[in-house]
Amino acid sequence: MKKLLSTLIALIMMLSVASFAYAEDVTINYWFWADNDAYAETMQEMIADFNATNGQGITVVGEQVPWDGGGYSNTVFTAAMGGGGPDVASWKLTATPSFVANDLLEPLDAFLQDWDGYSEIESSLWDVMREVGDGEHVYVMPWNTQVLYVYYRPSMFADAGLSVPTTYQEFLDACAALTKDGVYGFGMRGARGGQEPWGSFIYARGGTFADLTTPEAVQGMQDFIDLFQKGYTPPTAPSDGFSQIIDNFKSGLTAMTVHHIGSSAGMVETFGDDVAAFVFPAGEGQWTSMGDTENVMFASSANKEAAFQWLAYLATGKGQETWCKVTGNVPVSSSVKALDEFQSNPFMKVSIEGAPYAGILPVLDTTTEWISSIWPSTVQQALLGEITAQECMDILQAELYQ
Amino acid sequence: MEIIQKRMRKANIWPYLLVLPALLVVIAVVFVPILNAISMSLQQYDLRRPKQIAFIGLQNYLQLFSDKQFIASLYRTVLWVVFGVGFQFVFGFALALLLNQGFRGRGLVRSVSLIPWVTPGVLIALMWRWLLDGNYGVINDLLQRIGWIESNIAFLANRTTALPSVILTIVWQGIPFFALMLLAGLQGISHDLYEAADIDGAHSLQKLRFITIPSLKNTIFVTTMLRVIWVANSVDVIFNMTEGGPAYATQTLSVYIYLKANTLNMGYASAMAIVLTILLLAFSIPYLRSMFRDQGV
Repeated sequence: MKKLLSTLIALIMMLSVASFAYAEDVTINYWFWADNDAYAETMQEMIADFNATNGQGITVVGEQVPWDGGGYSNTVFTAAMGGGGPDVASWKLTATPSFVANDLLEPLDAFLQDWDGYSEIESSLWDVMREVGDGEHVYVMPWNTQVLYVYYRPSMFADAGLSVPTTYQEFLDACAALTKDGVYGFGMRGARGGQEPWGSFIYARGGTFADLTTPEAVQGMQDFIDLFQKGYTPPTAPSDGFSQIIDNFKSGLTAMTVHHIGSSAGMVETFGDDVAAFVFPAGEGQWTSMGDTENVMFASSANKEAAFQWLAYLATGKGQETWCKVTGNVPVSSSVKALDEFQSNPFMKVSIEGAPYAGILPVLDTTTEWISSIWPSTVQQALLGEITAQECMDILQAELYQ
Repeated sequence: MEIIQKRMRKANIWPYLLVLPALLVVIAVVFVPILNAISMSLQQYDLRRPKQIAFIGLQNYLQLFSDKQFIASLYRTVLWVVFGVGFQFVFGFALALLLNQGFRGRGLVRSVSLIPWVTPGVLIALMWRWLLDGNYGVINDLLQRIGWIESNIAFLANRTTALPSVILTIVWQGIPFFALMLLAGLQGISHDLYEAADIDGAHSLQKLRFITIPSLKNTIFVTTMLRVIWVANSVDVIFNMTEGGPAYATQTLSVYIYLKANTLNMGYASAMAIVLTILLLAFSIPYLRSMFRDQGV
């Protein structure tokens, strides 16, 4: 009897140890997009590092999902609505309203309360995160930002006898002066995603996103149209997207184009020293787009504590440093931002210079459709002379704030 | 057991039993989603505003009549289908006649001519996007070399050339389908008919008109109908080449539906999809009926 009892106790102990170990060994499914193969590889290395070092039995399984010109958010939405979403996913703020409206995201407030890394991230950024949700809760964990700026070719500026524009008017003049010998002054993005550089024109004339129909905002739109219609951009501009503006700049077809630090490595590889950047210059106002990238936790995740550990690793831990070093994106963690490598990079310097003027489009439940189809179709009509700048802005205003 | 078998024979339910598994699958993957789409089309079903989802009757359908983009997209769909399928048929028929001739390397030519059909639509779209590129495209280069144009044409960024460009792409993709189907039909025509026509002194055009085309009538009907339905519903080529732009110039109804559904307005997208289905049925049913009536089926 005694023997039986001791065997039973030993068995129970073994089972409880086994069940404890099972409870600790959790798997977190993480979906992310990567702009190129090298970034995807880096992410898998970071995941391997986290899995090896977290010491809590957490295994992150990373799955790359195509960015698809912003279609990523819809892919994740469809999966989450169908019950097949991940535990954690990389993110764009504009996608937040529809996910929050459908109760798909987990509020992070309870986790943030006791988290040491909270103060590493600027309070203004937390305010933005709170604002894009329901105004009360934080659903989105900051990760990194990309500030848009103007890439230019110093040799072309020198040939044209130009110096780097310091005002908006000088920038417009440079677009005209650089257009010669088969080169276009400005690589305009008229397809999806073009609303980001376009916003700088609106603000430079004194307009804002709050009311796109003001005379100032309309004048900014008119400038955008004029650049195309006067031939200072390639004739393909209405249909040019990300890859076209980058290819056009790299092939020497355009002298300037707007993008963020993510392209800098490729630019330097192509041109060596003959590429530099400046902040989109101020006119009556100044604005540039903050390309944001965050991470979120899904409400359906069965292992929220473990999911938060991975979010924290990306936001302020080793993941923050590795990812920003490889991609060149601007870190959100103050300690990572202070590292020498970030302070000495000239493109990072321009990104940091532009940060005070960087912002995002109003995040409304209409924003996704506005970005993906309303903006390109309407602005293309204006560029092709089918509607006026005023008509264009009236449509954009009505569709954004419907 | 014997009694059951007897009764089954009497009731002749075997055909129904045999069809049942397939029928259940069709109900699950076709009819249920269709019913779901009809249900959504009668609601304000916008997932961006889930708390406002409500039954609104025919409001989505009524809204279509005042939606300029819907009317314009419908018109472009007609152009897309008529020219897209029309040219596919003409060139496919010509290719089938050519491949039906005996010549050296015919097997190789037949295999190579299938390449556009077996290539995924997304890849075809990307390939033609580069061929037609306004800055570096091969087509621009060729046209300049032969002196037809002086400067590059931004085919996909220009309102007048964008739709013809995507039609050209879908034509290129669909020619092998017509060629393959019509070639199979051509090979089923008895040579006796041509020999008899030769004895009667018929020339090539007469043989084509009085023997080949009537013999291929059913194949032509079926392949044309299939292509009309596929091309009308096609999104991949247009979306990957132009995303419906510039300025809506290549936005067909299926692309418009895709864009609306992609921005989570499922109710309105469903209403448009139902209308497109009805239009395609309105075309297909009389088409099939006339075909089978001629056959006396």
